[in-house]
Amino acid sequence: MGKKAIPGVEWVPGTGDFIKIVEESCNGCGDCVKVCLAKCFGLRQEKAYVKSLDNCFECAACWFICSENAIEFSWPKGGTGFRTEFG
Amino acid sequence: MEKYDVIVIGAGFGGPVAAKKCADAGLRTLIVERSQMPGEKVVSGTYIPAQGFMLGPTWIREGNPPLERAAYGVKIHFIKGGEIYLSLGMTLPTPIAYGAYCRPMCTWLAEQAVKAGAELKTSTTAADVIKEGDYIKGIVTDEGEELRSEVLIDSEGLQNLLAIKAGIRKKYIPEAIELCLEYDFEMASADIEDIFAHHIEFHFAMPEEKIIAPLGQGSVVYLFPYRNSLHTCIGQFLKHEGKVVDTSKLIETYYENYFNTRRWKEVIGPKAKLRAKMWDTCPLYVGLFPEMHEMARCGNGIILIGDAAGFEDTASGAGIPNAWYSADLAADVAIEAVKAEDTSAAFLQKYDELWMAHPAILPSITYSGRRNLLKAQQDESLMVRLAWEQYFGPLSNAVPALSQMKPEDLAAFLPRV
Repeated sequence: MGKKAIPGVEWVPGTGDFIKIVEESCNGCGDCVKVCLAKCFGLRQEKAYVKSLDNCFECAACWFICSENAIEFSWPKGGTGFRTEFG
Repeated sequence: MEKYDVIVIGAGFGGPVAAKKCADAGLRTLIVERSQMPGEKVVSGTYIPAQGFMLGPTWIREGNPPLERAAYGVKIHFIKGGEIYLSLGMTLPTPIAYGAYCRPMCTWLAEQAVKAGAELKTSTTAADVIKEGDYIKGIVTDEGEELRSEVLIDSEGLQNLLAIKAGIRKKYIPEAIELCLEYDFEMASADIEDIFAHHIEFHFAMPEEKIIAPLGQGSVVYLFPYRNSLHTCIGQFLKHEGKVVDTSKLIETYYENYFNTRRWKEVIGPKAKLRAKMWDTCPLYVGLFPEMHEMARCGNGIILIGDAAGFEDTASGAGIPNAWYSADLAADVAIEAVKAEDTSAAFLQKYDELWMAHPAILPSITYSGRRNLLKAQQDESLMVRLAWEQYFGPLSNAVPALSQMKPEDLAAFLPRV
């Protein structure tokens, strides 16, 4: 269960790859990098890639901002991902 | 294959309210929730406006919900050079809003639905809808299980993945999406009383202070004192006037600068012990953009409520009352539709008549006051005046009945904390 990088939150493993980049649609603008507080994304060879979903709060800011619809966003598998009692 | 009259997506604030009403009416009702416990994925500095308890289902205010604290007013502090240079305040004789943490509150709401006979399936993600011809006939879970419904009440929230798959909604535009970073602090109740008395606080600053998003492009600093804790929130829209904002960097900078103001450094901060950091997106202004406001809120076999239906609250930013009202109305229509054996969009559109006639929903999603703050960028006196109108105007005028009733009569419509 969970990492301790962010206080007050647990992460349940087994989410699956619930955020994916569609490489052929990505124009490398980096908007997903700009809006993500969890630092899930990076850029290499002018394309975005998912570095890690470890600290993801499933807020979908990346999906909302992507003008090319190059981010596929779905929910993590039931019962996995972040949980908090302080929200 | 399991078959239900009504399947409700999501045990947040709206879903359980719809499910309870359907179950009370004898309908076979299921709530599908993706988290292990209701509310543990809901991130929201939550003060529920009193109006929600007055106009929402009576069982909420009468059932002793797990509320943290009542606020009797709002204080607005304007910050300049790291100092408060002007404060506005309003206090009413009865509570204006009630603080709550999302997990206990949503869990309590879901428990009431279960007591009424609804089933609750947690740790289950609704991955897709079942389509038959033009009708939505249920959902497919992430385990591949098919669950069939006559009516799907969709309270999935602002991402709306299912409604997009059902073909009745589109993704909200990023100009209407605010990223909110929140902190939760432990704080002794005596310190809470000392510092905040019975108020919640909003901190405003001019753009050069870099403490909040430029006005109208995000939320001010919210301070929500609870019983033994304090919750803070700062928000920033993802996009403004065609430009993508450096949201994540800015929002961390705002906090850094806010934590350097004197009120935080000398008064609040020394008493506050950090216990949680979290964030989420939040919709605002959905009702002000025609392309979003005019999207459908029901289709064959499906009705949307709460944030999924675009029922954010542009005035207060608090969408919970609208989630409750729309849940209640959607349940009424779903019950009638199941009984009449007609779940067509033409029948379900009665929901549109009902929510448009509701005294609070339409005014709250078409209120432009907060967005008008954009005009106040360079003018302090205009900012103060608009802040007054924005935050205190709706407070005193939201429900005419509220301002006309005597405090002792009003108490009957409010929960006890």
